[in-house]
Amino acid sequence: MQIIVTALVVGGISAVLAAVLTIADALVNNYGEVSITINDSKSHKVKGGSTLLSTLAGEKIFIPSACGGKGSCGLCKVKVKTDVGPILPTELPYLSPKEKKDNVRLSCQIKVKGDMSIEIPEELFNIREYVATVSSIEDVTHDIKEVFFSIQDEISFRAGQYVQLVVPAYGDIREETMRAYSMSSQPSVKNGVELLIRLVPNGIVTTYVHKLLNVGDRIKILGPFGGFFLRDTDSDIIFIAGGSGMAPIKSILLDMMEKGVERKAYYFFGARSKRDLFYLEEMKEIESKMPNFHFIPALSDPQQEDNWQGEIGLITDVVDRYLSEQGDDVAREGYLCGSPGMINACIDVLTKHKITEEKIYFDKFG
Amino acid sequence: MKQTPDFDKIQENMRAGSITGPGFLGHDERNLVDIISEDQAKVKELGLTNEIIANKLEMFMKQGERGFGSPVKVDDRFVVIVEESRGYIPCPFRHGHLSKKANINVRNIARKEEVDYSPISIHLIREHGFYQGKGSPYRLDPAKVARILELI
Repeated sequence: MQIIVTALVVGGISAVLAAVLTIADALVNNYGEVSITINDSKSHKVKGGSTLLSTLAGEKIFIPSACGGKGSCGLCKVKVKTDVGPILPTELPYLSPKEKKDNVRLSCQIKVKGDMSIEIPEELFNIREYVATVSSIEDVTHDIKEVFFSIQDEISFRAGQYVQLVVPAYGDIREETMRAYSMSSQPSVKNGVELLIRLVPNGIVTTYVHKLLNVGDRIKILGPFGGFFLRDTDSDIIFIAGGSGMAPIKSILLDMMEKGVERKAYYFFGARSKRDLFYLEEMKEIESKMPNFHFIPALSDPQQEDNWQGEIGLITDVVDRYLSEQGDDVAREGYLCGSPGMINACIDVLTKHKITEEKIYFDKFG
Repeated sequence: MKQTPDFDKIQENMRAGSITGPGFLGHDERNLVDIISEDQAKVKELGLTNEIIANKLEMFMKQGERGFGSPVKVDDRFVVIVEESRGYIPCPFRHGHLSKKANINVRNIARKEEVDYSPISIHLIREHGFYQGKGSPYRLDPAKVARILELI
């Protein structure tokens, strides 16, 4: 009997304590309605308590983020003019000394607890959320899929920009996840976007796209984002890409072709073996229509059965060889898309050939 | 061994779908503190340290990075392939460390055995003595790693 009474008493105390904690949590974390002033002009009344990134998204203001607020891409930087507490350890790796001094913060890490004043680039007001329908999925290599997402409204973007693809929760993944992908279609295609998505082992979004996504599925897209686009100069262009890094370069090339841009352009595309090469016919067609464009695919590890007659070696070595043969007394710009290691190595090669770092462009979402 | 509430939170970060799709724990039901301490005992038994194992894994990664996804031979005894992806993975111990996303495959030619890991695996071993739970795709069993990388 005493055991039952003791159990009931302990259970009762626990229940009361749990209720007190729940009420306290609701009171402490209830920040009520607060105001966010953007660029000293627009003021938004919002409910406090969530991260700045998600609060702004609720107001249809989309800050670039490749990881969807997980604190792992460092893209969602916003200048905060109000004191929101010290920089968190999760923000530190992404902020330069100047950014820390200028009160730049990661909007996915700070919470909206009171009135705030922030600064964001004006172009972010043009970013929209679209609900797209998958209208085609094609394998372009053994691990890259070309997917076309149809959009009912028109989408406007610059060749080279990217969107964020939002996939729903599935399996063990308990919440929506988003990742950034560059458009491979050209801006004149207004009724949707084509993306190239390479399967990353254990990748949340790429696994969803490769294993679960079907034609007819509806999926959320945010965009367009990014400052990777062709600069309006007369310089020769050196494009370098590998794998799904093909996407923004293809978009830029198709856009150049449509606009009749006649600048001299070399496109070095690195792949391991022939099974990793794609769009060879498309590139050949662009070459036939743009006499100043040259496509140079290179294999770093060609297989015997590939019977490969083209360039062999790491893409950096191939670029180095070409530029050495041509000499460096030419005004050039570099446009890169690929893995971070490849981009770093390409920057070394291009700067060696007198292309300054300010004239080398690449996406910073990785 | 008793686990602190801090470790409970870290273990939660390690579950599938929290930071990465498959997570860091696999099907391991043990407490994080037990996973770590049992692997530490194995490392000691092998006459190794976390630092020695992490350094070797890092050396192979650096050698392999030169190939941009193509195989790189190391010491004529190993073949390394590093495939990088864009983005970073935050350390589940949430102290602000970020690792690049990559899959590193090291094959011991003579033994015909191979091991896969990622840059965060190196950090987790060096800084936290964590070799991941049983069943995790990037679990590095200390004895297996020592054998394949010829550390013993």
